[in-house]
Amino acid sequence: MIFLFLTSGLFLGWTLGANDAANIFGSAVGSRLVSFTRAAIIASVFVILGAVLQGDGASETLGRLGSVNAMGGAFTVALAAGLTVYFMTRAGLPVSTTQAIVGAIIGWDFFTNNAVDTKALTQIVTTWVTGPLLGAIFAFGLYHLVKITRKRIRIHLVRYEAYLRGGLLIAGAFGAYSLGANNIANVMGVFVPSVPLEETGFGLCTLTGAQQLFFLGGLAIAAGVATYSRKVMQTVGANLLELSSEAAFVVVMSQALVLFIFSSSALSGLMVRAGLPPIPLVPVSSTQVVVGSVIGIGLYKGIRNINLKLLGSIASGWITTPVAAGLLTFFLLFFVKNLFGIDVGHSVNPPAAGIGEPSTALIIKYAIVILLVLISAYLVWLVLADKRKSDRINRKFYD
Amino acid sequence: MSLFTRTTRELTVRIDEFFDTIEIGILIFKEGVKAYVRGDHNTFGSHLEKIDDLEGKADKLQRAIENDMIVHSILPHQRSEIVKLLWQMDEIIDTAKGSLNEFYIEIPRIPSLLTEDFISLAEVSANAAEELMPAARSFFREPHLVREKLIKVYFFERETDKAAFQLKKKVFHEMNDLSLAEKAHIRYITHHIENISDSAQDAADLLASMAIRQML
Repeated sequence: MIFLFLTSGLFLGWTLGANDAANIFGSAVGSRLVSFTRAAIIASVFVILGAVLQGDGASETLGRLGSVNAMGGAFTVALAAGLTVYFMTRAGLPVSTTQAIVGAIIGWDFFTNNAVDTKALTQIVTTWVTGPLLGAIFAFGLYHLVKITRKRIRIHLVRYEAYLRGGLLIAGAFGAYSLGANNIANVMGVFVPSVPLEETGFGLCTLTGAQQLFFLGGLAIAAGVATYSRKVMQTVGANLLELSSEAAFVVVMSQALVLFIFSSSALSGLMVRAGLPPIPLVPVSSTQVVVGSVIGIGLYKGIRNINLKLLGSIASGWITTPVAAGLLTFFLLFFVKNLFGIDVGHSVNPPAAGIGEPSTALIIKYAIVILLVLISAYLVWLVLADKRKSDRINRKFYD
Repeated sequence: MSLFTRTTRELTVRIDEFFDTIEIGILIFKEGVKAYVRGDHNTFGSHLEKIDDLEGKADKLQRAIENDMIVHSILPHQRSEIVKLLWQMDEIIDTAKGSLNEFYIEIPRIPSLLTEDFISLAEVSANAAEELMPAARSFFREPHLVREKLIKVYFFERETDKAAFQLKKKVFHEMNDLSLAEKAHIRYITHHIENISDSAQDAADLLASMAIRQML
């Protein structure tokens, strides 16, 4: 019965593996720098390792947002998130599993009359903005570093590319580990509170109940990588995101760093010990971090290379995906509970009737609006600055 | 991984060897023209043999480099441009060899009055090709230096045009003792020597655009 309920999470894991492995090895496989078999083996092994060893941080944050306390509820939440991703992808709308699962959990909170932890929600929403932004910053810095190093060491292009190829494999392994560590929360996070798995010893190691779930989720992601990611990788590498070897290395490395930062309890603990605020351990959309990283490289090369439509689509996804997933979850939970009589969860933390909660929610709402306005204003300024620059150049040559 | 490193090392050596071969070929061409116009036919014959060997070697190296790059999927993004560049550079030694062969087969009569003009034309045309070599080598190690090195190629190509123009003008306007057939023959040989700098310029154009893309 447990496995039946887990199927929706496993399906979500499979789609994640099929799609997001392309963010790590897409450019390398598409341009035949790395063979698909090698990429798939590395991605599968390291995704599972990341999920089992470091998956609990981001999962805990999702648990704070809504601790889905019945297997029927967890099944429906994961199913609604999966269906949202599927339908929005088919409709050609920008979508991310991370944002879908958050919306679905909030939908469950509303349905079961549980209060939404606004602090956790604020942390999560903030990382949706900071994830791609950090990706862009890392990519900008790393790309600059790679270019400077290349200039300094005077290495032969053929040898340089050979090192980059090796670097891509290492960065890919790191990226896969971080993807497993960060995104396993999307796949299995909702099942942790409700699936009663005991701590089990496997000879050399002992896995907690949550780690066993993460291992299963990791296997599902690996199955997605092995069975369906080849086509996606070839499409990403050859058509949509044709990157040079250096850019591909930088994008994978930036993405891996961002996902690692938002899933490492050790790093967060280190920040606290240094007297700094802790890093929120939150699942981040790897696709959006990749887009942020590509934009970072674009900024390094000059504003003309930035696709503003892409930025707009990311921002719209922050709102449309969770809303769609939340509504679908609410709708599905109603049917699962009333039509099939399955327990979907109960209220353990009802919303307090006071003025404290709405004011925090309002702060989040306005913070998002202000952020979007600031980003739009910055982009408009960049475009205008670029136009002024090109006008100046034109005047210089044609006047 | 060791196989991969070996392939990389071998390919690097082959590319350098290819450039060396072209560079020596250009020097041989210059010496060959000098030997012919000065009437030293033995030296000319030996240079002709040497350039023939070098041209064959350049062809083999070009094919081996292309083969390595495809089989081991090396530099997939720049492969087609690099192959085109090697082909364009091979064209230089082909033209040089063709030019010396024309001297050998057609035995053009070069009046002593034109000896120095022919030598300087061959030198300036070969200089354009010679200056291409450091730029091409730079592309693989220091792409940011390629453009400044190409300036000399363009300079010598223009100088070749000027030298060829002066030589042809001299033949047709001042040397009335030559028959029209002899004048036409000299013009034809001049045109072939000029082709070396033209090939160098074509390769330089390609190299410049490749270097810009590398720099981005």
